Amino acid sequence: MQVIRRVMAIAAAKLLICLSRLFGYHGTDFPGRVARKIDPDILKKLGANVQEEIFIITGTNGKTTTTNMIARILEEKGYSFVHNRAGANMVTGITTAFIKESNLLGNRPYEYALLETDEANVPLLLKELTPRVVLITNFFRDQLDRYGELDRIISLIKDAVRNTDIELVLNADDPLVVHFQNDTGLHCWYYGFDDTDYDLFQGEESREGRFCAFCGEELQYERFHYAQLGKFNCPRCGSRNPRRNFTGHDLRMTPQIHFFVNNIEIHSPYLGFYNAYNILAAVAVAKLVGIQDEIVQRAIASYQPRAGRMEQFLIGDKKAIQILVKNPTGLNQTLAALNTDPASKSLFFALNDNAADGRDVSWIWDAQIENIAHPSAAIKGITCSGLRSGDAALRFKYAGFNEGIITVESDLEAGIKACLDMEAEVYYFLCTYTTLFASRKILSRLARKTTRPRPKYNLAQPAAGGE
Amino acid sequence: MATFCIAHLYPDLMNLYGDRGNLICLQKRLQWYGHDCLVQPVNLSSEVDYSTFDMIFMGGGSDREQGLVYRDLLRRADQLWKQLDAGLPALFICGAYQLLGTHYESADGKQLKGLGFFNLCTRSEKERLIGNIVLACRINQQIITVVGFENHGGRTYLEDKSLEPFGMVLAGFGNNGEDGQEGVRYKNLIGTYLHGPLLPKNPAVADYFIHMMAARKGIEITGTLNDRLEDFAHQQIKRRILGS
Repeated sequence: MQVIRRVMAIAAAKLLICLSRLFGYHGTDFPGRVARKIDPDILKKLGANVQEEIFIITGTNGKTTTTNMIARILEEKGYSFVHNRAGANMVTGITTAFIKESNLLGNRPYEYALLETDEANVPLLLKELTPRVVLITNFFRDQLDRYGELDRIISLIKDAVRNTDIELVLNADDPLVVHFQNDTGLHCWYYGFDDTDYDLFQGEESREGRFCAFCGEELQYERFHYAQLGKFNCPRCGSRNPRRNFTGHDLRMTPQIHFFVNNIEIHSPYLGFYNAYNILAAVAVAKLVGIQDEIVQRAIASYQPRAGRMEQFLIGDKKAIQILVKNPTGLNQTLAALNTDPASKSLFFALNDNAADGRDVSWIWDAQIENIAHPSAAIKGITCSGLRSGDAALRFKYAGFNEGIITVESDLEAGIKACLDMEAEVYYFLCTYTTLFASRKILSRLARKTTRPRPKYNLAQPAAGGE
Repeated sequence: MATFCIAHLYPDLMNLYGDRGNLICLQKRLQWYGHDCLVQPVNLSSEVDYSTFDMIFMGGGSDREQGLVYRDLLRRADQLWKQLDAGLPALFICGAYQLLGTHYESADGKQLKGLGFFNLCTRSEKERLIGNIVLACRINQQIITVVGFENHGGRTYLEDKSLEPFGMVLAGFGNNGEDGQEGVRYKNLIGTYLHGPLLPKNPAVADYFIHMMAARKGIEITGTLNDRLEDFAHQQIKRRILGS
């Protein structure tokens, strides 16, 4: 009976996965949800097929990129693993990922499982799976409206890992994760950055976690790497950054990321400090699994940005760059990147308030849009789009931009075209989650359409330098 | 040209969900009307004289932060009340609004005292009231709609029936999801659950505060601002919620 139920659940989900592919949906939650209805223990059963370890990667920012990088490393090593690739990071999406990799009987073994997990889903997932490691990247304000305040999420996760054998991999530079060791008594591995040339001595972003998690006193910062991540200590109780097991040092960010992790040299085609953290976290996990340095180096160097992570399009002769933004910290990082680009820019911002974006759009007021509202940022036009185009437009207006350069086009396609109609050297498309793929489709189509058709005479003539 | 000074109470502790956008809005609009506006942060244990301000603003915070702020505010509660009672314009959002009442009962049954300025109280429940909200409010003798976003575990009840709410709920939950009331209003003070932030999308409320501040200074605000984008944003969300 047990076996029949399991096979039925897997078969139904596999059929749904095929169907949704056929109709071009990314739908990765639904098959898992159906399978769990048929066999509520399906994830537990399939989880038992993991021969080596299960890794859970959670935290506010960087979990997708970090998980993808670890996956790249495991791939390079030749391991087999389950990975919820499409970013479907709820329990249902994770169930789908297991079923995708499974055979019909549900007994195919894999070596590892890499599970990017939504913060609020970690406790649910831990009821069904026993990981070796939970990696927490950081805690920033993100879509708080789904769960209430950050404090609550943190204590939910703490309760879920307490009294287990789980090892935690934690960001030593984030005061909001460092008290996990004290509160849970678990074995913790820490990664973090040594002093870098990019540090600030004054923080300017949202104030999450600026207070000591032990005694409530305001923390003193010696330096900030970015946002609340940095070198801190508490003047009252003396708590400070824990000792690192994996130290990032000698960081260079131009033209691309280059640094060392415990003397292992790392190159990456990525940009931005937040990605340096993602790489550092991925390397830490790889080293905990015992993967050789050369394999880690090769995997990171060959890992390319994906949709929404600074993906580029050439539309006619116009350079377009698409970036996913989903919270103040991520948006501030993007604005900082814009500020280092001297080219004149036409900016597009698509703001939706669907569940996956966060229903509450007020987070745009926690970002320092003011930082790009000056002439040297060279912003020639701003097009606001999406379901909350009005809120976006107001944010730019009150940041200090002249109303005359702000265009509102709620429809994504019309907005994208309006943005491209502006005179500029580069076109930045900032998109919240549920506008990302729709916008990407439009950008890809425009890029294809405007690729110069090959001149006819080419057919008759031998290609230059052909022989 | 005059210079206005707005006190921002506990900006490090009480600033959830973009509430500081309200200050950005007031500051910009005053500038566009041809005046200057300073925002002065008031932090824990800083000494302050409320009579030197043209307006007071305080945003929301988590339970823990609310407790810290309460103890600090209590030291000069009398002075603060004297100013508010004399008509000092003030905007208190969410957690700050709850502090104005007699007490706050957290979800696990703990009672926290409030400043007791008004006979209203808040009981917190596990399930939070979250979503877009539309109100009908009376501003300058006109009934207008006010839009925002609410996210609160607390249910607030105006125990004193003569207390005036900030508005009546057209869509959303409001004070408690039961009696259709939202917020509290007293002289030039507004206490409300509306994030969003409130003022940029509701320029009539922003201008209400600006005119009250100016009147107390004996200044007249002249001219009108181009609120094309403000009105668009207001209508966009209103249409979405009310569906008309």
